[in-house]
Amino acid sequence: MTEYLIATTLSEALALLAQHGGDAQVIAGGTDVLPDLRAGKKRPETLVDITRIPGLNQVVVNSDSVTVGAATTFSALHAHPFIQERVPALAEAARSVGALGIQAVATWAGNLVQAMPAADGAVVALALEAEALVWNAGGAPGEWRAVDSLILGPGHSAVDPTRQIISHLRFPLPAAAWGAAWRRIGRRASLVLPILNCAVKVILQGDLIQRAVIALAPVAPRPCRASRAELLLAGRPPSDALFAEVGRMAQQESQPRSSIMRASREYRMAIIPALVRDALWTATHRALRSVKDPDFAAD
Amino acid sequence: MLIAFTLNGRPTSVTTDPTRPLLDVLRQDLRLTGTKQGCDHEGECGACTVLMDGAAVRSCLTPVGKVSGRDVVTVEGLAHGDRLHPLQVAFIETGAVQCGFCTPGMLLSAKALLDRQPSPTRTDIIEALDGNLCRCTGYAKIVQAVVLSAAGLRGEAPAEPAEPHHPPMGGSELRSDSRDKVTGQALYAEDMAPPGMLYGKVLRSHLHHARLRELDATDARAFPGVYGILTADDVPGLNGFPAYSREEPVLPEVNSTLRMVGAPIALVVAETAQHAEAAVTAIRVSLEELPHTFETNCALETGAFPIAGRSNVLATFEAAHGDLEGALSNSDHLLDTAYDTAFLEHAALERETLLGYPEQIQDPDGRQQVRITVVGGTHEPHYQQDYIAQALALPLEQVRVIIPPTGGTFGGKQDPWPFIATALMVYHTGRPVRLAYSRHESFDASPKRHPYRVRYRIGANQDGQLTGIRVRIDCNTGGYDGHGQYIANYALTAAGGPYRWTAVDGMARSVYTNGPKSGQYRGFGTAQSTFALECALDELAQALDQDPWELRWKNALADGERSFLGYPLADSVGYRPVLEAIRPDYQRFLHEAAHFNASHAGQPLRRGVGLAGMWYRFGKSGSLRVEAHAELALDGHLIVYCSAPDYGQGTNTVISQIAAEAFGVSRRQVEVINADTARVPASGIQGASRATFFVGGAVSQVVTHLRQETLGTAAEMLDQDPQRLTLVDDRIGRPDDPCQQVTLAQVAEEFQRSGKARRLIGFFDLSDEFPRETRPEYIPLFVTGAHLADVAVNLETGETEVRRMVAAHDVGRAVNRPDAEGQVEGSVLMGLGAALMEEHLPGQTTGFADYYLPTASSMPAIKVILVETPSRYGPYGAKGLGEAAMLPATPAIINAMSRAVGARLHSIPATPERVLAVVRRELQATQ
Repeated sequence: MTEYLIATTLSEALALLAQHGGDAQVIAGGTDVLPDLRAGKKRPETLVDITRIPGLNQVVVNSDSVTVGAATTFSALHAHPFIQERVPALAEAARSVGALGIQAVATWAGNLVQAMPAADGAVVALALEAEALVWNAGGAPGEWRAVDSLILGPGHSAVDPTRQIISHLRFPLPAAAWGAAWRRIGRRASLVLPILNCAVKVILQGDLIQRAVIALAPVAPRPCRASRAELLLAGRPPSDALFAEVGRMAQQESQPRSSIMRASREYRMAIIPALVRDALWTATHRALRSVKDPDFAAD
Repeated sequence: MLIAFTLNGRPTSVTTDPTRPLLDVLRQDLRLTGTKQGCDHEGECGACTVLMDGAAVRSCLTPVGKVSGRDVVTVEGLAHGDRLHPLQVAFIETGAVQCGFCTPGMLLSAKALLDRQPSPTRTDIIEALDGNLCRCTGYAKIVQAVVLSAAGLRGEAPAEPAEPHHPPMGGSELRSDSRDKVTGQALYAEDMAPPGMLYGKVLRSHLHHARLRELDATDARAFPGVYGILTADDVPGLNGFPAYSREEPVLPEVNSTLRMVGAPIALVVAETAQHAEAAVTAIRVSLEELPHTFETNCALETGAFPIAGRSNVLATFEAAHGDLEGALSNSDHLLDTAYDTAFLEHAALERETLLGYPEQIQDPDGRQQVRITVVGGTHEPHYQQDYIAQALALPLEQVRVIIPPTGGTFGGKQDPWPFIATALMVYHTGRPVRLAYSRHESFDASPKRHPYRVRYRIGANQDGQLTGIRVRIDCNTGGYDGHGQYIANYALTAAGGPYRWTAVDGMARSVYTNGPKSGQYRGFGTAQSTFALECALDELAQALDQDPWELRWKNALADGERSFLGYPLADSVGYRPVLEAIRPDYQRFLHEAAHFNASHAGQPLRRGVGLAGMWYRFGKSGSLRVEAHAELALDGHLIVYCSAPDYGQGTNTVISQIAAEAFGVSRRQVEVINADTARVPASGIQGASRATFFVGGAVSQVVTHLRQETLGTAAEMLDQDPQRLTLVDDRIGRPDDPCQQVTLAQVAEEFQRSGKARRLIGFFDLSDEFPRETRPEYIPLFVTGAHLADVAVNLETGETEVRRMVAAHDVGRAVNRPDAEGQVEGSVLMGLGAALMEEHLPGQTTGFADYYLPTASSMPAIKVILVETPSRYGPYGAKGLGEAAMLPATPAIINAMSRAVGARLHSIPATPERVLAVVRRELQATQ
């Protein structure tokens, strides 16, 4: 029978993993772990629940970044006033995961470790240029690693939940005017995998786009950035023509697959330009609004 | 591992594997069966929602180890003793409970919302409920219930149930069974677990078409916990149920073919579900794969691989009258068009789940016998009793079928196979046996809606007058008949609609393929044709530059006119009143859409307005003589015995209302005994929306008779003229003389004393109305309706939002207004699902994860208009409704989308991808 241990500190959780030498596994919300166990995909001797470790449930807003504890649920992320107000793209992405009954327990960090090709949490993390604080069981202190480097392929994360723990995620709050946007197309609003997810971040410098991030999925085996499209935006003023050009470039960079149950490759390709354009405009408008409202204080 | 937590306010502990889902521990270990399971522990349905530390979570995805030290609330913990939670009250009062299977999860999702947010917006409510699937209600009344109880909790409205003061008929009588459903007390088949119960499991084919070459269960029989492996050799009687489905075996003989994925091969009965599953994999089977197709046109090709014995055509139905060639050649305009529909899954929230058990009974001569009883949701227990008796070679009295509270069927649970299989397992083991399909199994093996290809040639004159109609329909019956033998008739009947035609040439055929077996599905074969016709009429209106409402109005059938079928309709046809009812909204929607499109020129979002009508032949037929019984109980209450199963649509309530009205008492004095072959007469099949009309008619007849007898006896007791007596509450007497009264109980005693029957038999009999020699195959009882849809389509992505719908239906007489509205709202959402998202792909679709049902956020604003054009025959003028309401929703939405897009959509579901393809084709064509 599998053992279920509820860790009360991060070091205890790490020690338990170390002690079991690969036969223990971290569990947070468990909404993916439980089906994996039932399907026999994983057979850990011990589950180490990290959701009751004090501190891992917190969202901390600093002047230049936001740090999110690994046990923070998507519901908590969505409900956080600063995120609602200043990073609505993250709140919207959090609201896209399954349904409320999933979001109430599922975590952003867990979503990254699960490494699904179109994971909502991963796509928005890429756009926000988020990093994860990864700890090795029985090893050196944790180190911050870019989320982009953690997702290797479908279901394949660089973080091994039998030997490693993500304790926190963080993403920068640019000093300049900035905004992010989330756009998801699915067969319906809830309880579906996306046909296409798109998250973008736009940082302004005066009337120009200083730089932007565009993340899309599933257009490759893992969520990824449309880097050539991003380059087109740097140093240019936002316009319909520019965003259309960027959308086409993002389309060229994408290699989506056909999914019988969701959408064909052709359809996914066809909607990329409109999605990217819409998301860029939303992000730009949000960036402009942040200029008008600079006194918004984080609490 | 010992896990201690708080459950519904009480400290609880269990010792179990901590990775087991909380759902299983609640239901199996703690016997709290209010929490429901709708999917395969995948978090896809929300029926298992419970509260964990106040948050609504999926108990199927929650390892029980996680709740250690936490606070869990299930539906059983909502009420305080007899005092219901305001949400439970509101669910009952608004009519938010139909089959009740989603109700516990809905209640807890709503409670979590209200606890954290006492003043939620409508959007907040929809968002909170968006992960909880409901197939019955269309969500409208559920959202309304949450709004109402939020207000109540804030002290703005009464939260206690108001004492109803409605008349029994036509008022807003509450459902009689909702209280059990909101408290989790209602026992569905899967909630019953008698001692010694075994578990059945089915070995099924994984191939679309195959020949069973070898079947060897020797290894599996030796497995631990296995009580039996049953194959074709173990069917003692008829290995089939040809009255329902020709050539479909209970279990296949070696060397016979298996015509679809999910076709059963063998049955395993074992000590636990796990033992049964293990043994299934140990049965050695050799299958020879055969060529397969899912397409009727391939199955119809000359030289196509035979799927059925002689021909791939199962049945053909034709109808013709008038000079079609002449009518078409004299028409100003001809339209040639074709429409396609998909396999649809009923997706009732309760999976196919049955319990069988042996009972010791005495035969009339006092000898002990074993009776095999099967408890499960279906449409007519006596039919299943008959199928089982034939397969087991038992006399009818040794088989009993009982219909328990049922979590929806929509036609799907009419399939006799699981009933026969369950009975067979009881027969061989002598033990209680549960057969519960998994959700994946249900998708593979349960019947689907027949996909159609419908081709039309329609003639019309420039003024919009319809002339001739030629229609050809291929109905895809899948691998097995499953009543596909009758579908061609229904397909063709609906294909002409409630319109005047001068000449008709119609042919429909049902065709075998290797898709899933098609069967009954809300509207039995009529929704697909209605979709095609109503879209074709919209095309025609566009081609003639006519308003589509005007076109329909101009050609609408009136009472007594010759119909598409060549003979006049039997009853009143309220089509013109229905069209009139939607007209003001139609004109307003058109105006608003035009304004929106003008002010958003060049933008991707386009609005469109569409409408569709329908006629639906209800009541089926078979026998036109339907039986029901009424009894004056010794304590003076009225008992009605009939067979009109209530699987969520509310027949128990409607029957009790009709009985109360006919007897002249309140509904609380009426008890309905329903759908148990050992206790009630056969009242015919519960299909074709016939319960209210036929069974209600029989109940009304027999109860009226019982009232006369009761008043007559009271008159003798009081020495009064029965004409001058009245029945008030439970007292009969002269209104002007309170001393001269007897109670119903006293009358019952007098019946008993004088040897007069307290239980009467009555019939609703239309046989004389439609003499056999002049009666068409099905009696022409029709209802009509029309829907209006306002949609917004994104031309860049193909995404569609159905914003508003108006649904008008001629119900003859609304017996229960909230229930009638609930039927319509549920139908609208089901029609929306068919229009936009639902499609079962054989061998691909696995369950709720990839069969997209509408959720709360898919719901448009729905306005229901009940038009009452009384029936000449139905009780109090009532007609059938439950299925008809689904028919116009799909074409209304598709017509609205086609108008928004500016090009015609010809197949459903109109997924974003299909819409975009049409948009792009149109763009290329115009460039």
